[in-house]
Amino acid sequence: MLLLQHQQTHIYIAPEIFFYYKFKLIIIMPSSLHFDRFNPITHAATTVAIANGVNCPKQPQAPPSSTAARRLVVPSLSSGRGIAAPDTVALHHAHVVDPNQCCSIVTQHINAPVSAVWAVVRRFDNPQGYKNFVRSCHVITGDGIRVGAVREVRVVSGLPAETSTERLEILDDERHVISFSMVGGDHRLRNYQSVTTLHANGNGTLVIESYVVDVPQGNTKEETCVFVDTIVRCNLQSLAQIAENRTNNCEHTAQHC
Amino acid sequence: MAGICCGVVGEAAETSSPIEPTSRPSARRSLDLLPLKYIAADVSVPPLENSRKRQRLDRRASPARECDNAVHSSKSKVVEVVPNYSSKSPTLDSTSPTVVEEYPRYGVTSVCGRRRDMEDAVSVRPSFCQETLSHDKKLGFHFFAVFDGHGCSHVATMCKERLHEIVKEEVHQAKENLEWESTMKKCFARMDEEVLRWSQNNETPSCRCELQTPHCDAVGSTAVVAVVTPEKIIVANCGDSRAVLCRNNVAVPLSDDHKPDRPDELLRIQVAGGRVIYWDGPRVLGVLAMSRAIGDNYLKPYVISEPEVTVTERSEEDECLILGSDGLWDTVQNDIACKVVRMCLNAQKPPSPPSSPRREMAVDCSDKACSNASILLTKLALVRQSSDNVSVVVVDLRRT
Repeated sequence: MLLLQHQQTHIYIAPEIFFYYKFKLIIIMPSSLHFDRFNPITHAATTVAIANGVNCPKQPQAPPSSTAARRLVVPSLSSGRGIAAPDTVALHHAHVVDPNQCCSIVTQHINAPVSAVWAVVRRFDNPQGYKNFVRSCHVITGDGIRVGAVREVRVVSGLPAETSTERLEILDDERHVISFSMVGGDHRLRNYQSVTTLHANGNGTLVIESYVVDVPQGNTKEETCVFVDTIVRCNLQSLAQIAENRTNNCEHTAQHC
Repeated sequence: MAGICCGVVGEAAETSSPIEPTSRPSARRSLDLLPLKYIAADVSVPPLENSRKRQRLDRRASPARECDNAVHSSKSKVVEVVPNYSSKSPTLDSTSPTVVEEYPRYGVTSVCGRRRDMEDAVSVRPSFCQETLSHDKKLGFHFFAVFDGHGCSHVATMCKERLHEIVKEEVHQAKENLEWESTMKKCFARMDEEVLRWSQNNETPSCRCELQTPHCDAVGSTAVVAVVTPEKIIVANCGDSRAVLCRNNVAVPLSDDHKPDRPDELLRIQVAGGRVIYWDGPRVLGVLAMSRAIGDNYLKPYVISEPEVTVTERSEEDECLILGSDGLWDTVQNDIACKVVRMCLNAQKPPSPPSSPRREMAVDCSDKACSNASILLTKLALVRQSSDNVSVVVVDLRRT
């Protein structure tokens, strides 16, 4: 069963508007059923649900968004035509969420081509290239940018974390998909898994990053999402500035060649 | 009339290298025994630590190579001279009988402690600003500040290098209409703008860390600033560093830590649309453990750079002023810090009666006492398992 939640009052959501609003993608499955991302039935149902903009019933376990959280949403500054391949989003951003977990999604529009953004995002061995809170990173398993590689990230001071051990789960250079999970470290985010996808959007790029994580003891799902969303949003805004600056520098250099 | 004209005081660096405690008791003057016993009785420092600490203090005078654990003291051996600062020093007319110059006596200690990186910074600018009351009478203002950086060190470093100059400019602009609260708020806003402007440039950051992103929205610093004039002590604070005045044996806080769960700060954050989440302690959006800071642009408008300003009239009962980062205050209470400093100041009482050469000796003793006090406070914080950088400034406010 696929459930979609959104914060808009109107029932129908056009596909091109769909990706500019924050929503939560939750899949509840019986524990006996093994989830296969290539299951044709699930895949078809997901595609139909998103394509039709079905207003799914509200997930009873999810708390309503607070006014404060709603205000933290940063809308994209420009609009563009809709995403041509919504099934890609459904495929990669569908997370299996346990009752003690929460998930969320953050989007960022970047005025730079997909190739420029992907060149930065795909560097699993160099997250400090765009992530603000990384002080240093060392790949401890694998050759750096291949599925199964593990990196040890040291976090900057001032944050409630010291280190994070992360494994590369997906790296798809054709479809521009990268995914990693946190397998250890000194932090409170257990069983964290994130997926980042890039989508051409006119001359620019729409970045979508979703994640699922355990809710730490003593915190609520909403609090956990506020915390992680803040980190992810800060990173994506930094990514936008870096990719756009690189694109501008390239164009500037090209004019002088 | 005999008077002491203060020259430019350059920063000097000394370090206490760790040594093994000697098995044979070293000879000590009876005067030295009293403060150590007092410390042991009051703050429960084990005797072995006493012995080790005493050894370190005895070796403090010997010069050592620079490292993260730096000890600064006025009139100590000069390791580096800041040319720009020297060229700006005021020229005192020693022949004028009306020249009144109060000499600042202070000690500074700033150590990395148990953290891997040093992100604190200390700024001491004696006589950084002159107030002209009449054509031949000048009174000096003295600038003391502690900055505790987070995320990286370059915001704290920028504050150390620039904030006193901004304050000087604003004080000169205000002239006779000087209103300290609005002036300091304007200075902090200007400092925050400079940090933001710097992070928006495409310049390569000059700090030595491994951060590569040129857009450092996620770096910030506390700032506790004290301007000491002949009549007043002005404290402007932003973040969770702190300033404490010792007056008549009582610890008087001159600043109030900006923690996210302070009731008025919590309300301000919520009204701004943010929230405080308990994540290893109360944090703004679960991320930052303080509610005000210079920098941290990604958390505005929840984390603001506006300081809280206090103006305190000086008094004959004032003993000393202590500025420190939270690495100190997390483990050392205000009243204990005051006791430690008072003990150090009293242990170095100058012999009487004062005369010209002995007055110089009194000044030397006072500087040494302030330096000892800052070192003792730092060691006390480390002994009590402080887990952060520790920075301490001790200013002797007694009138000689």
